[in-house]
Amino acid sequence: MISETIVRFAFFINSSNRYKKVKTFFADILVNPEYPYKKYLDSFMIFLILTSVGILVHGVRNPVPEWMDFYDIYIVSFIFFIEYIARIWVHNDLHKVIVSDYEKALFLQKKFSLWHSLKKIIIEKLHYMVTPAAIIDLLAILPAYRPLRVLRIFVLFRVFKLLRYTKNINQFVEVLNNKRFELLTLLFLLIFIVMTAGIAIYVFEETYNPHINTLFDAIYWALVTISTVGYGDISPVTHQGRVVSMLIIVSGLAMISFVTSVIVSAFSEKLTELKDNRVIEEINTKESFLILCGYGQLVKMFLRQKQESEYPYVILEKDPEKVKQALKDGYNAIEEDASRYDVLSKFNIKYSKITVLCLTQSDIENIYITLNAKSLSKDILVIVKAIDENMERKYRLAGADHVLKPAHVANVMFMTAITQPIMHNALEAILTGKSMAYIDEVKVYEGSSFEGKRIEDIPLKEKKLLLIALKREHNGEFIFNPSKDLVFEKNDVMVIMGLKISVDDFKEIHQRGLL
Amino acid sequence: MKKRAFMLGYGKQGKMICEGLEKDQFLITIIESDRMRYKKAKEDGFADVILMDVTKDENLENLLIEKEDYLICVMDDIHLNVYLTLTLHDLFPDSPIIALSDSIHTTEKLYMAGATKVIDLYRVTANRIHNLLRKPVTTQLLDGFILNTHNISFKEIEIPRDSFLDGMMVEEVDFSKYEIMLIGMIDKELSSHFIFITSGISHKLDSGDILVCIGKQFDLVHFEEMIRRKEV
Repeated sequence: MISETIVRFAFFINSSNRYKKVKTFFADILVNPEYPYKKYLDSFMIFLILTSVGILVHGVRNPVPEWMDFYDIYIVSFIFFIEYIARIWVHNDLHKVIVSDYEKALFLQKKFSLWHSLKKIIIEKLHYMVTPAAIIDLLAILPAYRPLRVLRIFVLFRVFKLLRYTKNINQFVEVLNNKRFELLTLLFLLIFIVMTAGIAIYVFEETYNPHINTLFDAIYWALVTISTVGYGDISPVTHQGRVVSMLIIVSGLAMISFVTSVIVSAFSEKLTELKDNRVIEEINTKESFLILCGYGQLVKMFLRQKQESEYPYVILEKDPEKVKQALKDGYNAIEEDASRYDVLSKFNIKYSKITVLCLTQSDIENIYITLNAKSLSKDILVIVKAIDENMERKYRLAGADHVLKPAHVANVMFMTAITQPIMHNALEAILTGKSMAYIDEVKVYEGSSFEGKRIEDIPLKEKKLLLIALKREHNGEFIFNPSKDLVFEKNDVMVIMGLKISVDDFKEIHQRGLL
Repeated sequence: MKKRAFMLGYGKQGKMICEGLEKDQFLITIIESDRMRYKKAKEDGFADVILMDVTKDENLENLLIEKEDYLICVMDDIHLNVYLTLTLHDLFPDSPIIALSDSIHTTEKLYMAGATKVIDLYRVTANRIHNLLRKPVTTQLLDGFILNTHNISFKEIEIPRDSFLDGMMVEEVDFSKYEIMLIGMIDKELSSHFIFITSGISHKLDSGDILVCIGKQFDLVHFEEMIRRKEV
């Protein structure tokens, strides 16, 4: 009976879109680093951690006011508790296990055992709960339990919690992890030397040295000496003891320089990769950005024409020399091969509007990048430069949204310059927006005050604007010089021309619905 | 009378321009210093092709270049292109020279050498990417104008003497009646610069002013005929 109700409930949840939406939201905000709003939660948690630790330190010498105590015990701990539960919750889907087990049982005409499914679920959740991160999360909640004053020190686990919210420390750990073998070897060597030297000094000096009474004292002395810290609270008094000291001081120096060099080399090996990841992470937080593939004349020219704050970008170039040049020229470039799937998939495809510009020197590579981008997501806009103009068809087949043919573009400019010089100047002025005429497009968004209005009702004339054409969304048709009684539909795009101030003013009217 | 254009260089770009100009009824003279390209131009059906050493001034002087003739420098060797521009500007200072450039530095040099207009291959392409990103719909629309796919184009129309437009203010003319749109004009009285209609300054139309309109080809021709009349 209970089992039936639970199964029914699991099916209900499984089919509920709302539940799915809510859960995705929580999963995104807690664990998806690409989710744009995650940083707000992260900052908030860091704030809680820092205040909590601050209160602990403050409380050492001063009486803690009641409200601070209340905040520390109840509010912070409660939020951490909620977070802990939420993390366990989003780790996997309960109902899916039940639903799939139930369906399997139905298919095989076996009796469905709820207990069996529950066991599976609990094991999986436990699996998460024993990960170091989850344990730290749990320990960070503990200081809330007041009767045991000792638990206060668990506030320090809140500091460890910071690891979750700051990527730098994780990267540090990751780099060291790469040198695990070297570091472990050194650690064993250290233990070996300390133990040997400790035992030796214990044997030689236990009777003569008043400070060495136990083996622990001896080992403590060995470690302090080998690390070159040398407090001096214990020092050898016999000749044999001094010889042992000299030996371990020398081996200690060697070991310290060895450890330092291992860590330095680990970082220098990983430095470019870390930097590149940084660049990608940063650009991933942007709402829309460009990926420029290949660094050359065209990219340089393009970036030079770009306005300061206009679209963020990153250059991917596989030739290290060119990357160096790009960095020297002051551009944001990393050494990566854009035709590789794992390179493009590092970018925030789900939440950012990405435009890929394939501007490498080879058509084959450009086609490959186009396909690569389009296979990741159809929403990625791909603009590609064709080296061989006959390749256009292939680029279209690969899914490129725009194919640039430099010679062709130049030809059009040549032709207008020769046959229609005034139009040539006008076009150039319009498009570069340098003159009195500024051309821009305004999209009638859904629910806009323009929707359903006639052109006559829109203050075009008053704002000294020229409505050149209208593009209808549903058929992609251009209505040139539209008549006064044409009615706006949603998603129409108006192409208007006028002074920049007029255009801006008009856009504001549209945006704010001031009609 | 047909317009003339002298093409200096018959490379990839030169070939494209020649084809375009031929469609627009230009008289084309192709000048090449490379035998292979000279042959290619002949094979492509151009009659007036001259093979000569373009670095010799006397060769160029012998060409019958007149004041309004277009000189188009599209040599593949960019150094030669700059040199040629300078020479041509020296020999024929009144002729408009349009040159091809492949970098920002060359563009500067070509202008210094006396080119009237320089088309920078990278600049126009980069411009196009910017336009595609900033104003996709507008770019599509203007492409249509240029390629004439919507049957709509720009036209520069000079106001003839004795036209009914002569002496009228711009605001008084209802262009929508003719199904066309006035984009801007060159007011001979004020300056020879192009003024956009949206600049907000009112203009008096005079004969000799040039109107730049967009509209259907047919309507534009019709309008051009209409303004020849004295009365509306």
